[in-house]
Amino acid sequence: MVERRLVSGNYAAAYGALRARVQFVAAYPITPQTFIVEHISEFVNDGIMDAEFMRVESEHSAISATVSAEATGARSFTATASQGLALMHEILAIPAPLRLPIVMPVVNRTVAAPIGIWAEYNDVMPQRDLGWMMMFVEDNQEVFDMIIQGYRIAEDKRVLLPFMPNLDAFILSHTYEPVEFPDQEDIDDFLPPYKAEHAHLWPDDPMAIGVFTPPEYIQEFRYQTEQAMQAAKKVIKEVNDEFAKKFGRDYHGLIEEFMTDDAEAVLITLGTVTSTARKVVMDMRKEGKKVGLVKLRFLRPFPKDELRKIAEKVDAIGVYDKSISYSAGGPAFVEVRNALYGMEKPVIGYLAGLGGRDVRYSDVRLMFEKTLEAAKSGKAEKELVWIGTRGVQP
Amino acid sequence: MITIHDLPKENLFTGGHTACPGCGAAILVRNAMKVFGKNTVVYTPANCLLVFGGTYPYVSWKVPYHHVAFENTAVCSAGIKRALKKTGREDTLVVGFAGDGGTADIGMQALSGAAERNEDILYIMYDNEAYMNTGIQRSGSTPYGAWTTTTPAGKVIKGKERFKKDVPQIMIAHNVPYVATASIAYPNDLLTKLEKAKNMKGFRYIQVYATCPTGWRVPPEKTVEVAKKAVETGMWTIYEYENGKMKINIKPKLDENGNLAVPVREYLKMQGRFRHMTEEQIETLQNWVNEKWKRDLALERALSE
Amino acid sequence: MYEVRFHGRGGQGAVMAAQALADAAFIEGNYAVAFPFFGAERRGAPVLAFARVDKGKIYEKTQVYEPDYVVVLDDKLPQLVDVTKGLKEGGMAIINTPLKPEEVELGKEVKTATVDATSVALEVLGTPITNSAILGAFAKATGVVSIESIEKGIMDIFGARLGEKLAEKNARAARVAYERTQVGTCKGTLKYPEEKKWLPTVQEFPTGGALGLEVKTDAGLVGLGSFVENKTGSWRTFMPVVDNSKCANCKLCWFYCPEGAIEMLMNMPENEGKNIKGIVIDYDYCKGCGICANECPTKAITMER
Repeated sequence: MVERRLVSGNYAAAYGALRARVQFVAAYPITPQTFIVEHISEFVNDGIMDAEFMRVESEHSAISATVSAEATGARSFTATASQGLALMHEILAIPAPLRLPIVMPVVNRTVAAPIGIWAEYNDVMPQRDLGWMMMFVEDNQEVFDMIIQGYRIAEDKRVLLPFMPNLDAFILSHTYEPVEFPDQEDIDDFLPPYKAEHAHLWPDDPMAIGVFTPPEYIQEFRYQTEQAMQAAKKVIKEVNDEFAKKFGRDYHGLIEEFMTDDAEAVLITLGTVTSTARKVVMDMRKEGKKVGLVKLRFLRPFPKDELRKIAEKVDAIGVYDKSISYSAGGPAFVEVRNALYGMEKPVIGYLAGLGGRDVRYSDVRLMFEKTLEAAKSGKAEKELVWIGTRGVQP
Repeated sequence: MITIHDLPKENLFTGGHTACPGCGAAILVRNAMKVFGKNTVVYTPANCLLVFGGTYPYVSWKVPYHHVAFENTAVCSAGIKRALKKTGREDTLVVGFAGDGGTADIGMQALSGAAERNEDILYIMYDNEAYMNTGIQRSGSTPYGAWTTTTPAGKVIKGKERFKKDVPQIMIAHNVPYVATASIAYPNDLLTKLEKAKNMKGFRYIQVYATCPTGWRVPPEKTVEVAKKAVETGMWTIYEYENGKMKINIKPKLDENGNLAVPVREYLKMQGRFRHMTEEQIETLQNWVNEKWKRDLALERALSE
Repeated sequence: MYEVRFHGRGGQGAVMAAQALADAAFIEGNYAVAFPFFGAERRGAPVLAFARVDKGKIYEKTQVYEPDYVVVLDDKLPQLVDVTKGLKEGGMAIINTPLKPEEVELGKEVKTATVDATSVALEVLGTPITNSAILGAFAKATGVVSIESIEKGIMDIFGARLGEKLAEKNARAARVAYERTQVGTCKGTLKYPEEKKWLPTVQEFPTGGALGLEVKTDAGLVGLGSFVENKTGSWRTFMPVVDNSKCANCKLCWFYCPEGAIEMLMNMPENEGKNIKGIVIDYDYCKGCGICANECPTKAITMER
C-alpha cells in the first residue's frame, strides 16, 4: 500500500535504503547527515531492515567497508557530508574503475575553513573527477525516489558505477515535507535484487578485484569507465521513464526544463534553489518576461547535448553555483560554458548562498533579471556575479 | 596443535611471485594459505605483498583477493566478511595481511575500530619493522637504533631514537578473543596459532615476525637464522592471549639469575641495519630488552589461570 | 645526443651506474639525464636504467627505445632478454663477461666490448657488484666520456650514497676494468622466444578488470594463480643442489622456501604409499636465496654457483 508521511530529507534517504533492500550499510555520523545514521540504526534494531550495519569509527572506514562489501556482491549503502566526504576522498576514487554500484547520498555542507555546518557545494564539487554519477535533488520526495532509481541505474550492466544523490544541508535534510512511499512489492518489481556477476569475492567463483596494475592496463580501465559514464545518460532516461510510468513521478532525466518554451533567458540551477526559481519564473512570466528554468539534475554524467539544445533556442544563459573554484568561477558555470563552446551566447555565472547563506527570492530574481538584460543586449556585463556579498556590487 | 607435517601439498599462493630472494613475508603467506584453505578471502593493503603477490594481470593468490587502499585492511576485511554473510557464505574465512606500517601506523585507526566492534576477521601483521615497499623507511614498529632511509646513521643522530611500538599489547587492550605473536622461524608454533585463529570467531590478531633481508641488510639465506636470534635474545617474545589468559609459548634461554642469557649484540651483529650502533646505544637497547622481558613475564603471571 | 640503456637486476645498482655516467658527462660540460625504468621490481628481477647525454638541454621525457649503447651488468641477462633490442645501427653493447667479444652471443651481430667486471669487482671491492667497473669499460669502449670523468662521477654519486671510502674503491674498480676492456664484434646467434603479453582491447577488457582463476589467453594464464607464468628461476645466482641420501624428510626446506619451489618426493603422485626420502627443487622458480641450505639440519643441500 502506498504510504504518505511528513518526513525529513534524512529520513527519506534512510528509508530509501530500507526500501531498496540494501544488504550492507557502513556509516559514521556527521552533521547534518547524522539522522540518516540514526534512522538506519533504529530500522536495524527494530528488525525492519535486514542489513548488516557497521557502525564504523570514521567516514574513511565507512566508504572503505562499503566498497569492499559491494565488491563482495552485496547491495551496499553509506551516507555522509562535508568534512566526512573530504575524508573519504581517497576511497571515492576506488569504486568507479572497479565498477561497484554503491549508492551514497551526500548532505551538502560547507567544508572548512572556516568551519560551519550549513549548505554549500564545496564538499561535493572536488569529487567530480572520480567516476561517480552525481545528481542534485530538489525536495524530499526526490531524495527517496533517487535512492531507489539510483540502485537501478547504478546496477544496470551498461553502467555499474557508484551513484551520489546530493541534498542540501538543513534545507532538505532537516525539513519535513510530505513524501509518498510506494508499495514494497512495486519497488521490488522495479528494483530486483543485485546480481554481482562481473565482480564478487566468493570462494565458489574466485576473483581478483583491485590488483596492483601497471600502465599497460590502466588507460583501458579509464576508457571503460568513461564509456560506462556515457552509457549512463541513456540508462538514466530509461529508468526515469519507467519510474514515471510505474509511480507517476517524472523527473525528466538528466535535466528538467521549466517554462523554457520561447524563453529569451534561462537560469540553470542545482539543488533546492531550483524550487525558489520555479516561483520566480512563474511570477516573471505573469509580468510578460520571457524567462525559463533548467534544473541541472545530473552533473555526472554531464548533459552536454541537452544543454546545447536549450542554448540554441535562448539568447542568454545564467548558471547558479553554491561554491567557487577560485579564479575560475562556479564549477557548474565553468562546465556549462565549456559545454556551450562555439555558441556565441552570453553565459553568466552567479554565486550566492555560499557557506549556507539563505538564497532569497530577490537573489534569484536578480539572477533572472541580469540574464534577461544580457539576452536583450547580446552581451554579459560581467562574467561572474557575486550576489549578497557585503561590499561587492552584483 | 598442528605441525609442518600436517600441511597440504597445494600452494594457494603460487611461485612466480616477485618477492626479493629470502623474503620472510612470502614464507609466512604461502604457508598460512595452506592452513586456511580455499574457503578464504584475502585482503592486502598497499605493501610489498600487494606488488609481489600480484601485478596485473598476474596474481599468485588462488583464492578471492581484494585491495582497496593502505590504511583500511581491518575495515575492508570486515566489510567483506559481513557481505559474505549476506550472500550466504557465512563460513568463509576473511584474512587481512598487512605490514607493520599499514598496521602500527596508518592502519591503526581502522584496526582499533574493527577490534572494538569485534569484527569476525583474522588480521595478520607481518612485521618486517619498516616501510619496505617504499624503500625502507622507519615505522612505529622499527626497533631502537635501526638504520632506515629516514633514520640514517648520521653524524649527529644514528638510527631510530624511539623504541618499537607494542601493537599486540594495544590489541589485548581491545579485549578481543585472540591475540598472538609468532615468527617464521618457529613453524609449528606459527601454524598452530594460524589454525587456532582460523577456527575462532570474532576479531583475531596475529603479529608475525618476518625478516626482510633487503631492508635489514642481511644475506637472504640468513632470513630464518636472524628470526631465531630475535627470539633467543628476547627482542621478540612469542606468546598468545586467549580468553583473557596470556601464555609465553617459547621462552628464551636464561642465565642462573633468571636474566636473558644471549646478549642482544648477537642479534645486532647479524644485520647491516645495526652496524653503526655505538656501545652506549647497544646498552640502551639491552636495557630495554631486559625490561621488556620482565614485563612480558609479569604480564603472563598477571594474566594466567 | 647519445642514449644509453643499462640492463641489470634489482639491487645491482644499474640506476646508480646511469647516474654516475650522466654525472661524468655533465662534468665534461654536457647536459645529461639519468632515470630508472618506472617499474616496481624487487631485488633480483631484471631492471632497466637509462642515460641521455647531449651538448644542449634535453627535452625528451620518455624512456629510451633506440639506444646508442647498451650496458649489461649481469652476464646471464642476455640469455633472458634481447639486450640489443632497438640498438641503433652502429651502436655498441658493453657486456660484463669473462668472454672475448667474438665469443659473446647476442640477438644481433653488433660492435661489442667485454670486461670481466665481476672478477674486477671481487678483486677491488670484495663483492660482485659491477655497476662501477662496467662504467670503466664504457669509457674505454665508446670514448664518449673520459675515464677521469667517470671516476669523478663515481665519487659524486657513489660518494653521496656510500661514503668517500667506498666511492674511491668503486672509482678504482672502474679504472681497472677500463684497462681490461676488449672491443670487437659479437655473434648474433641468440634467438629469443616471441614475447607474449595479454593486451586486451577496451572491448575485450573484463568489466572493472576483475579476473577469475587461471584464465586462459593466447598469451598464457592471467588472473588468480597465474603468476606461475613468471619463471623467477632466472633471477638465481647460486643454485641449491640436494643430496637426497642425506635427507631426513624433516620438511623444513619445504616450509621455508619463499617460492614454494621445493617439493617432497613423498608428495609426488608416483611415490604414493612409498617410504621415500628426499626433495626435488623446481629450478623454474628457485631464486637461489639459500635458506634451504642454511636451515637443512643434515646439510643435504649445498649452494653452488
